[in-house]
Amino acid sequence: MLRLLDAAHNEWYRIESLEGPEEDCRRLLDLGLTPGEEMAVIQAAPLGDPLVVLVRGMRLALRRREASWIWVRQ
Amino acid sequence: MSSAKTVPPRVKSEESKPPSDLPGQESKRPTVCLVGAPNAGKTALMNALTGGGFHTANYPGVTVTLSRGKSKPEFGPEVNLVDLPGVQSTVAPSPEEELSCKVLGGAHHSVRPDALIIVIDATQLERHLKLAGFAARSGKPLVIALTMMDLLGRAEQSVNVAKLSLALGAPVIPVDGRTGWGVMELMASLRESINDPSKQSNVLGGLPDEPVASYAAVRKIIEASGAVRKGNPLVLAKDSVTARIDRVVLHRYFGFPIFLLILMSLFAAIFWAAEPFMGWIEAGFEAAAQLTLSLLPEGVLSSFIARGIFGGVGAVAVFFPQIVILFFLMTLLEDSGYLARGAALVDKPLSHLGLHGRSFVPMLSGYACAIPAVLAARTIPSKRERLLTIWILPLMSCSARLPVYALLLAALLPGSPWKAGLALSCVYVASMLAGGLTAGLVSRFILRDRSSSLLAMELPVYRRPLIKPTLRMTWSRSSAYLKRAGTPIVVISAIIWLVSNFGFGSRQELEPGAPPPSLITVSELDHSFAAQGGQVIEPLLRPMGIDWRVGVGLISAFAAREVFVSSMAIVFHVAGDEDSQQERLLEEMRTATFAGSEQRIFTPASMIGLMVFFFFSLQCLSTVAVVRSETGSWRIAGLQLLFYTGVGYLFAAAAVQGLRLFGVA
Repeated sequence: MLRLLDAAHNEWYRIESLEGPEEDCRRLLDLGLTPGEEMAVIQAAPLGDPLVVLVRGMRLALRRREASWIWVRQ
Repeated sequence: MSSAKTVPPRVKSEESKPPSDLPGQESKRPTVCLVGAPNAGKTALMNALTGGGFHTANYPGVTVTLSRGKSKPEFGPEVNLVDLPGVQSTVAPSPEEELSCKVLGGAHHSVRPDALIIVIDATQLERHLKLAGFAARSGKPLVIALTMMDLLGRAEQSVNVAKLSLALGAPVIPVDGRTGWGVMELMASLRESINDPSKQSNVLGGLPDEPVASYAAVRKIIEASGAVRKGNPLVLAKDSVTARIDRVVLHRYFGFPIFLLILMSLFAAIFWAAEPFMGWIEAGFEAAAQLTLSLLPEGVLSSFIARGIFGGVGAVAVFFPQIVILFFLMTLLEDSGYLARGAALVDKPLSHLGLHGRSFVPMLSGYACAIPAVLAARTIPSKRERLLTIWILPLMSCSARLPVYALLLAALLPGSPWKAGLALSCVYVASMLAGGLTAGLVSRFILRDRSSSLLAMELPVYRRPLIKPTLRMTWSRSSAYLKRAGTPIVVISAIIWLVSNFGFGSRQELEPGAPPPSLITVSELDHSFAAQGGQVIEPLLRPMGIDWRVGVGLISAFAAREVFVSSMAIVFHVAGDEDSQQERLLEEMRTATFAGSEQRIFTPASMIGLMVFFFFSLQCLSTVAVVRSETGSWRIAGLQLLFYTGVGYLFAAAAVQGLRLFGVA
């Protein structure tokens, strides 16, 4: 298991769990980042933050802080 | 793709006229709410249904207040339409999301929906159907409007509308709000649902609230329906048009240069492309003023209309072309999808200052005018970041400051336009730095709770903007600005004209033999209320190195900053046509001295002091009014006015005294 933050780009991972502030995590769940779902980091913005991720056919800009809450498995 | 556009059979049935079609039943007109995720194409659909321009953009979360309208008569019996703000989540909702929850829960005081149009992006079925579950729980009859059908091909996806409709137990109508495609069918289906709600037994209302279970249920429904052929996720990630554009505009080295290039082109267009139009508007208002003076008998009324109304409104109307160009280009950037990338690019530096990536759009608009900028701050999700953004917006160097800086720099650096230009650029950069610094300080020491900041921002796919909707949107935003800013400007211009043209009768110089004056009478500026006020505050102005006449200019600039220039022309008795006016004003300013002494007023020190004052001071009562209505608080608006004007005064006085200390006159 690793954090999405440390995931390789353009590889698909399966979400295991979300561990962060409760309300923020609930909002991420509502956005569709639910455990079991597959997602990929496509690229990082020029300053390395935010990351551009793909989940449920949606492109999402996630701060590194937010990506560190998401635990994934390849 | 052919299967994607299949229209469900329900819609085809010919309409028997429902009873609500009778005239005189206005109050019985059903209310229909449009609900859906941000960026689902909801507002574009609202535009198509009502024929009126509402705010629409390819930038998540644009709708934040309830915009209302009436369906166009060509779609059959009219319904009232309400565009609800997008709801992403019901946990820790933003004020906008809370509003939507209230309406859907039947707890809103005036909006009680009879039916819902649920807007769903065909490329985002799972997510949007999950969100639809929340709205469907209200039990109202509903119709699903399926948008973005044209984007399915790009993602190698397809959706069978008939099968989807069958599986959901609700009518599904493919539409494109931007072109109006499918809107007729949508309205027909909606009427059917309202007239016979019992026919509906949609499964969406039964979706659980808990997100994991809800998503699982939605996936099961979609898979069982066989309506969707999923795209290749690798294509989405690497080979789609959007992925390719993103690789360039979010490139590690090219990302920021491209961003800056786009911003600079935007500024260049605002300032240079607007110039001829501004000239025409200026000439138009001057002509109207002259015409009034020549048509009406000479007197207070003609002067009031010509100088007070046309003069005051004209001074602000000249900026309208800049505003229109700003809105046009912003709409293009939004609709294309780039604006969300811009917000993502600057999120990191801005979040260091306690702001949010989305603060960038209002800050950018602030360089044209603070009023649309304050309105644009609505899209910022957390209240703290929204407030902080609004707080620093008056520092952005708005275009109303430009004529003031131009006049002062021309006086300060005569005969070297390039030096003046360079100084002006420095002022612009400095205003950005001052904004950043202020935000940083306020978030460090006052608004310290930064826990609730979440970016998680959808980056929409790139789309080619369509000309007609873009123009319609530009117009609706520009005219909304005119209405918003125009009223206070007319009122304040009128008040300022009155106080600078009337005075106490007892203070007037009387011609010998004239009858004794009434209590309040028409007067020269020197004896007007404004002059008296100016003289009262003159001790305050001394530290800034200016006299009461410049003070009158500063006070009148609260109507709008550029009014300072025309007031200076009035107080220094400069007359003449437009072209020679600035020359003569500069000449007057060069020779002006304090009353009863040889001391010059406009020295390098006092002119730098004036520029410092204009740099900080919140001299725009229209901005105060807008901040008050957006924050719902007179305290914040008043505090902001006092803070910036106070800081401007202190820094200006400090600059003047400091410069004098170092031997600069």
